[in-house]
Amino acid sequence: MTNNGGLEPVFCTIVPPHVLDKLARNEDPALSGPARRTLVRDAQERGRRRVSAEFGLAAAPRAKAPSDQPLRTLYDAGHTTDLPGTEVRAEGSEPGQDATVNRAYSGLGATFDLYLKAYGRHSIDGDGLPLDATVHYDENYGNAFWNGEQMVFGDGDGEIFLDFTIPIDVIGHELTHGVTQYTANLTYYGQPGALNESMSDVFGSLIKQYTLGQTAAEADWLIGAGLLAPSVTGKALRSMKEPGSAYDDDVLGKDPQPATMDDYVRTGRDNGGVHINSGIPNHAFYLAATTLGGYAWEKAGQIWYDALTGGELTERAFFGDFARLTVQAARERFGDGGEELQAVEKAWEQVGVRVL
Amino acid sequence: MRIQVRRTGGFAGIERHAEVNTSGRPDAHEWHALAEKAVAEGRGTPPIGVPDGFSYQLTVDGRTVYAADPRLTDEQRKLISRVLKEGA
Repeated sequence: MTNNGGLEPVFCTIVPPHVLDKLARNEDPALSGPARRTLVRDAQERGRRRVSAEFGLAAAPRAKAPSDQPLRTLYDAGHTTDLPGTEVRAEGSEPGQDATVNRAYSGLGATFDLYLKAYGRHSIDGDGLPLDATVHYDENYGNAFWNGEQMVFGDGDGEIFLDFTIPIDVIGHELTHGVTQYTANLTYYGQPGALNESMSDVFGSLIKQYTLGQTAAEADWLIGAGLLAPSVTGKALRSMKEPGSAYDDDVLGKDPQPATMDDYVRTGRDNGGVHINSGIPNHAFYLAATTLGGYAWEKAGQIWYDALTGGELTERAFFGDFARLTVQAARERFGDGGEELQAVEKAWEQVGVRVL
Repeated sequence: MRIQVRRTGGFAGIERHAEVNTSGRPDAHEWHALAEKAVAEGRGTPPIGVPDGFSYQLTVDGRTVYAADPRLTDEQRKLISRVLKEGA
């Protein structure tokens, strides 16, 4: 690290801005001090390419347009928690022996493709950010996450969860957390956090549909299909079509997702229920997409993408704020009084979200 | 010593809870040392973790601290995985 101005490296690249924000307000000066300094530094660098510094690339603004090809690097943590781990596959190299590495590599490519071809976005930051992912994180680790700069995938415990690189929508989900971070940067708590989760489910599902060439009517609208071990009673982790129906198992319990605001869950756990209440905006997207028909990424996906990336969605947005921006995007892109506008308005109405 | 772990969040959003009571265990000393270190390094309020990262609530004899992936200390990670594996 050459450009951290003497700051503690732990706060330099790993911590997402909303976490820094929270840390900066911490009573403990050992935590708040470095976070505050990092926020100041980030503010100074905004407008320049923040990422170029983090990745040790040229700090000067890039003169040429970003490439239409992804720049993927896969790492193997070797069942430790050290990130990123050992490099095992670079962009353009042939598939190796490890199916997990190869699946992650393909999934990153598919995600890059959808964002570029459907929305003209170059990688997750819109400016060619290299895509890094680590597999085989920790032992029997039943999770995947985005740490603010890369994806991390566990192998699952084999009893409840299988390898987290199996469903392509999980890979798309994690990368979309990056897209959200670089755009609206929705706070990962409560309603904005559930919106953040929903963006990842929506685009994760679209990446799967795009890869399989499925229309809205053909898609399964499931998140994490293929991830649950055979002994688990369930088809996936979430259902956008029918939130609350994905699993009902002795060990896992029942899928807690609501489909409408009537069943909104108030809780402090899971960052204020971010993986629970995401069912509501997820279902709204499903309703809009299936009403419009055809390939979901073309109309409903475009409208959601416009709302997420248009610059008006704030970090602390509620469902109603996001709904308003989708209505606005439908009108601007497809015309006032069109079927797109009607489908979007109807979808929010059906899930009980009032357009703010 | 009663050691409780509650794990929430994660990609699946599925909660897990387990606890270990060390009284009468031959390896009680080892558990105590590990638990004391893990708690000493915990936070008084839940940190907002990374997207899809696990959040942990660690309670040792009534004292609760919080932590979140991926920034756990080695002792916290070891204690959490042992309690979730061996606890009831």
